[in-house]
Amino acid sequence: MLKFILKRLAFLPFVLFGVTALLFSCLQFLSPEMRAALYVKDPRQLSQLDAVIEKYGLRKPLPVQYGIWLKQVAHGDLGYSETAKMPVADAIRSFFPATFELTLVTFFPIMIVGVFFGVLSAVYRDKFIDHLTRFVAITGYSLPSFVLGLGLLMVFYGRLHWFPPGRYTLDTDMLVHSDAFRHWTGLLTLDCLLNRQWAAALDVAEHMVLPAATLLYISVALLLRITRSSMLEELTKDYVRTARAKGLPERVIIRKHALANALIPVVTLSSLLFIGLLGGVVITETVFDFPGIGRWGVQAAQQLDIPGVLGSTMLAAFLFVTANLISDILYAVVDPRIRVGN
Amino acid sequence: MIRLLLCACLPLAGLPAAAWAAGPVKNPDTYTYVTISDADSMDPAWAYDSASDLIILNVYDTLWTFDKGSTEKLVPLIATKIPSKENGLISPDGKTYTIPLRRGVKFHDGALMTPEDVRYSILRFMLLDRAAGPSSLLLEPLLGYPTTRDEADKILPHVWEDAQRAVTVRGDNLVLRLKRPYAPILSILATWAPVLSKQWAVAHKDWDGTEATWAKFNNSAKEQSPFFEREDGTGPFKLDRWDRRTQEFLLERFDGYWRAPAKIKYVVVKGVNEFGTRKLMLMAGDADAIYADRPLWSQLQGLPGVKIIDDLPTMENDPVVFFTFKVNTVGNSYTGSGKLDGDGIPPDFFADKDVRKGFAYAFDYKDFIGDVLHGKGTQATGSIPASMPGHNPNQRTYHLDLAKAAAHFKKAFGGQVWEKGFHFTIAYNSGNMPRETVCQIIKRNIEGLNPKFKIDVRSVEWPTFLDAQKDSKLPIFVLGWNADYPDPHNFAFPLLHSKGDYPPYQHFKDPEMDRIIEQANVETNPAKRKQLYYKLQALEYEEVPHLNLVDEVRYRTQRDWVKGWVNNPVFPDAPYGSYFYTLYKQ
Repeated sequence: MLKFILKRLAFLPFVLFGVTALLFSCLQFLSPEMRAALYVKDPRQLSQLDAVIEKYGLRKPLPVQYGIWLKQVAHGDLGYSETAKMPVADAIRSFFPATFELTLVTFFPIMIVGVFFGVLSAVYRDKFIDHLTRFVAITGYSLPSFVLGLGLLMVFYGRLHWFPPGRYTLDTDMLVHSDAFRHWTGLLTLDCLLNRQWAAALDVAEHMVLPAATLLYISVALLLRITRSSMLEELTKDYVRTARAKGLPERVIIRKHALANALIPVVTLSSLLFIGLLGGVVITETVFDFPGIGRWGVQAAQQLDIPGVLGSTMLAAFLFVTANLISDILYAVVDPRIRVGN
Repeated sequence: MIRLLLCACLPLAGLPAAAWAAGPVKNPDTYTYVTISDADSMDPAWAYDSASDLIILNVYDTLWTFDKGSTEKLVPLIATKIPSKENGLISPDGKTYTIPLRRGVKFHDGALMTPEDVRYSILRFMLLDRAAGPSSLLLEPLLGYPTTRDEADKILPHVWEDAQRAVTVRGDNLVLRLKRPYAPILSILATWAPVLSKQWAVAHKDWDGTEATWAKFNNSAKEQSPFFEREDGTGPFKLDRWDRRTQEFLLERFDGYWRAPAKIKYVVVKGVNEFGTRKLMLMAGDADAIYADRPLWSQLQGLPGVKIIDDLPTMENDPVVFFTFKVNTVGNSYTGSGKLDGDGIPPDFFADKDVRKGFAYAFDYKDFIGDVLHGKGTQATGSIPASMPGHNPNQRTYHLDLAKAAAHFKKAFGGQVWEKGFHFTIAYNSGNMPRETVCQIIKRNIEGLNPKFKIDVRSVEWPTFLDAQKDSKLPIFVLGWNADYPDPHNFAFPLLHSKGDYPPYQHFKDPEMDRIIEQANVETNPAKRKQLYYKLQALEYEEVPHLNLVDEVRYRTQRDWVKGWVNNPVFPDAPYGSYFYTLYKQ
């Protein structure tokens, strides 16, 4: 297994290289002058546009330009985001933890609910639980996230005053910005707990309930469907029939045999889901005024904040590659044939 | 925790109809204003947008301010008296103002304010003079010219000497020597050039107040200023922080204020672009006032605990549709191909008067006022709004006439516009619904004239919008003008003078208009002055450098527990934003 992981890790830089090369090639569709605007932060610098083009070699052949660009990225220079009003690297450091935290509190419930009810739905096919999960899946698919988000806000915030939008209340805001508060992990709920600020931790958690619930509802639908169909397929296979003929209890057949095989497509889907959440969930973050990477990314795209777009896309690419690696490792855990094959 | 559990099992159908009824005052120590746009800079010498100025005027003090809702009567702040000829503080020739300054005023860092701080603040306000910034407001009356640089962007040789002559300190008095009599100067100083700490500025590597270094800070980039995101003023509130991640300002009451401390302890000014979220925050009592345009007015009616104060006079011209006569096409995604080939527009597209008139005749003014503004307003007759002297109510205006619009487009560029068509993008600042609607009306009507006419509409965040506009990249942009001080010159100069706020970036220059504006500014005879402004508005009608759409009245939406609010149309972001010092919750 270690050898397998090391091999995959060794492959990671090449994949990142390919992704960044592709990203950079896409930028070539813009003129040198437009790309020079990446480095021109003040209109008065426009008179120096040719100097900027020369400095960054924007008229040089593509491989040469790519080398220069890669060197800058390696030094952490991703440019300045006008949307965030800070350097791109700072913007990522600033916006990403909130999205990561939301992803963590959303992803595991999605997995538990999706897999559990997907299996139940397959096992009790055409029974009440199957109809219910299919109903949830269909509505989750078809309900736009802004409609669900605003609906939840109206009920649970507007009417009941329970779960406000934003990141935290003013008290918590002042606490986390005070000198006494230590930012151990960047994950606010965890940091509040580590600082023994229970009320603040609860406050931060309360602010994540509605965005997490929205994401759970719209994301779990696909997982339910895939788990159900994969499980149904496994349950009709010969090895399951053989196990039943041998008199194995149904519980064992489902848990030990069918489920392990049914999980392979689920692993693929879950890694994609995880990346999707980490990349930022634009509408959910906008509706709930949640200061995450998705909201920033979309603002950057809307305003042609090219450094911002480039930075957020780079992050998404990096996350995608990393999540793919994790899913490959999980494949090997779930299905030993993959390891043997390698 | 119980809430978290209840949330999971509460059936939506059986919800108690609790709780957006009015209840006890929520967060009685904190006033929260939820708006749409993020500020540009906290530097008083740089900021020239209402989102920034709203914060600045609550953390800094000016020499004096307007008395409550008045736009004429002044009350002293840092000064102890308002100069007048009667009290001898204005010289008989109207050119020298002696301003006695208050003692014992403290900055937020605890240091005592000195007359030198006041002198430094006014000099800094003028000499930093960023392109199309607010410095012209004082440069013009004090030095006699609106900018410190010539047309080649070189600093004028005599600026330092002129500034030294114009602003001096004599004992506890500040002495201002005007180039010529200039009546609006008192109004200008009521909202501009607030007092900041020279000691703090120098300690943070800002201008040290000397001749040797001032040029280095002239027209500098906004992020370079230590005042970009921090402050050291003497105002009733301290800027605790500007969190650009959450688009939130937190102000804290300054207990060492020279007057009684403010009643409210904290003020939060937060940017939330989604109206639904802003409305829910208001209903839940987490927002005490929200920004809401006229088209949203009907959605705010009848909310328990929410008060709407309507028919508030304004001193503004908004929205205005500006044409850029020479668009900067370098790195520009707003102009398509940059040529008149059907896929773009050339840089000088709007330099053709027929193009501008085509747009003027293609706008539906009546429907905009009736449908979007619910009839709250009248069609504007020029740049000077109805509340100002010099406004001509009988000035001819454009009206929707698609046949005339088509005729002008057929004449434009020798007929090539009509034959080849065009494609470009109009921008408005995100969250501003009337401006968005204006863009959509233009798009609909213009595209309806000829299938080869294509216009895209793009929503852009405020700071980026400002930067794009300053860079002359927007072929058409929709903005407005809120008065800096109550005088017609404050509309004529920024909107129509070639060195004003918008024309330099539109690349619009009309020597005759410039001459009239300059003449009217020093004309003391009201009747003659009025005639000059009438002439200006007639020229404006003929030249169409921009489209004035409406003289509007505004409304404010706030929780009914908010007390002490006073509408002063001159205050930045009025009537949504306000002077927080007088507010309390009860």
